[in-house]
Amino acid sequence: MERNKERAYEQALQVLPLSLRREALSLPPEDRGRAEELRLRCGQPLTAVLPEGERALGREPVTGRDLEQLLELASRASVHTVLTQLRRGYLTVEGGHRVGLCGSAVMREGEVCNLRQLSSAAVRIARSVVGAAEPVWDKLAGPDGALESTLVLAPPGAGKTTLLRDLIRMASDGVRGSPQRVGVADERGEVAALWNGRPQLPVGARTDVLEGCPKAQALMMLLRAMNPQILAADEITAPEDVHALVTAAGCGTALLATAHGREREDLSRRPLYRELMGAGVFRHLVYIHAEGGARRYEVEELP
Amino acid sequence: MIRLMGAVLIAFGAAWLGLGAAAELGERVKRLEALSAGLELLERELWERGSPLPEVMEQLSRRTQEPARTLFARCAQACGQLDREPLTDAWRGLVEELDGLGPESRAALLPLGEVLGRYEAQGQREALERARRALDRAQVRAEEEKNRLGRVYQILGVSGGGFLVILLL
Repeated sequence: MERNKERAYEQALQVLPLSLRREALSLPPEDRGRAEELRLRCGQPLTAVLPEGERALGREPVTGRDLEQLLELASRASVHTVLTQLRRGYLTVEGGHRVGLCGSAVMREGEVCNLRQLSSAAVRIARSVVGAAEPVWDKLAGPDGALESTLVLAPPGAGKTTLLRDLIRMASDGVRGSPQRVGVADERGEVAALWNGRPQLPVGARTDVLEGCPKAQALMMLLRAMNPQILAADEITAPEDVHALVTAAGCGTALLATAHGREREDLSRRPLYRELMGAGVFRHLVYIHAEGGARRYEVEELP
Repeated sequence: MIRLMGAVLIAFGAAWLGLGAAAELGERVKRLEALSAGLELLERELWERGSPLPEVMEQLSRRTQEPARTLFARCAQACGQLDREPLTDAWRGLVEELDGLGPESRAALLPLGEVLGRYEAQGQREALERARRALDRAQVRAEEEKNRLGRVYQILGVSGGGFLVILLL
């Protein structure tokens, strides 16, 4: 497991120019698995973000040219192919790692069409947690072993997407029952992290991913085109998402979704979630408690 | 007999030089034509298909004529070493090292290094169009030169050889 984490760190370094890559490799191996991000800021040395804070990795300040080269590496010298991602502020690279960029936005007809004079970048290291859903699976599966509609509720950073991804993987690969076809509306590319058409994070062999498309539209497209047995979407944020989920539930598809919430009461407090819960489309609610570095899952059966 | 053979060799040598110089003018036109056609294909691939630059370069290196073939093949190679050298620098080196280009053609190609792979498709298309127009202008001039000087070189070579033979004999 630790070696895999180290490998993920080393793979993420592939987007750095050679000189910065050497500096990044100065991080001791035992810390590489703990590094969450690499930060590049123009005029400042490269730093690694560790759970205890940022640590400088070199003495030489990062230059604008380094950042240009990083964008060139991340886009494989093809900025025109990643403009949609650039407009979102980040690119997904091989391995599912995410490169966030800042600089001066070039606007055309009110839309960001490119970034110039890059000022900083964050390379977020992707690490999937295979097995994260094991502790809750039995409580979420029906008598036939198939996953039932489930909503995951947790505050930001508690691991909602990690749990969702592993539930998708287990259902799709049939880890505890018959494999199921899963359709994923991955609007922000956080669940599967497609790269060259391939999911870079483990979402199972029978999973179809529609990335970069607004969730409500993506859910309907998946429903019509891919005949999924389970539909999954990360972070329900708009009334259209709720309507799409309700429609999908009406077609007999099981649903998997996540929602931001600091406590269980948020579901009855926020109008959007109230509507979602009122529709009665979910059978189970998983609430994630993040306590220190550990996570505790609380599963509730919904009426 | 030896004098006669020497005279024939000189005549052939001079004629060969003249014909070679005329052929070189024709080659220059062909090279410019191949480069312009290569850039047109590149523009189409980037604009109409939105393909990634390394893939396009790789494909075009198999579908184009020299010197576009070498330029695209070396650019595809450079795309695999972006961590060592940014494409802008690599492109400059490639264009400067490419054989058989005149200063005009180099000047037309060099600015592409600042744009290829770094701009949105529209920006790359405009830069490629500019480069193509410059190459096409150079091609028109090269053709005029070929028509004007090609025949002159041929005649000069043959008649110069004949003249030398008369002088020596």
